[in-house]
Amino acid sequence: MILGRVVGEVWATRKDARLERSKLLVVRPHGWYEPRWATEHLVAVDDLHAGVGDDVVVCLGQPARWSRGEENMPVDAAIMAVVDRIELDAGAAQASHAAPGIRRRWTPPSRWAR
Amino acid sequence: MIRGKIIGQVWGARHVPGLDGRKLVLVAAHDAAQAPTGRVVVAIDTLDLRSGDDVTVAFGSGARNVLRPGPDNRDLVCDAAIAALVEGAE
Repeated sequence: MILGRVVGEVWATRKDARLERSKLLVVRPHGWYEPRWATEHLVAVDDLHAGVGDDVVVCLGQPARWSRGEENMPVDAAIMAVVDRIELDAGAAQASHAAPGIRRRWTPPSRWAR
Repeated sequence: MIRGKIIGQVWGARHVPGLDGRKLVLVAAHDAAQAPTGRVVVAIDTLDLRSGDDVTVAFGSGARNVLRPGPDNRDLVCDAAIAALVEGAE
């Protein structure tokens, strides 16, 4: 999974019947682990009612198809959780090389523990 | 699998049903010389580890096998899970 921030929403009227109950959100990833996936934005299916500005955990690849639980969906990215809080290890947060994607693009809101 | 170090933990009350009771951690990947590669992954932690721990992370079907041994585990929503706590490496 990766961390990302919801930056927009995609509407589509003509779509696969299994997607009719779901929203499609545009997510800007905070960091990547798989270079072949790396992109500035991705579209993920959302059943959790995440909104623009929310930080989310996105599941990628085949497991995303089962994000609704019982149904095999035609997707390869799904919102898995809406982030309430993140605790970063103090040492890791200071080591600029440890997590450059997160350091560069992501400043935790003050309500989150550091 | 990759090796990495746990750098933090993630909480989200709104999550998919498959995440109930699971712990999510942030892992910064590193190479054989322990130098961070800059890649970060959110992984499910079933071993209840803490920040700073050196771990291996399994992806794909290997990650699902961590949560529930296969083959009937294709319905699990998980693409990364911590497979082991590394105690030493040569």
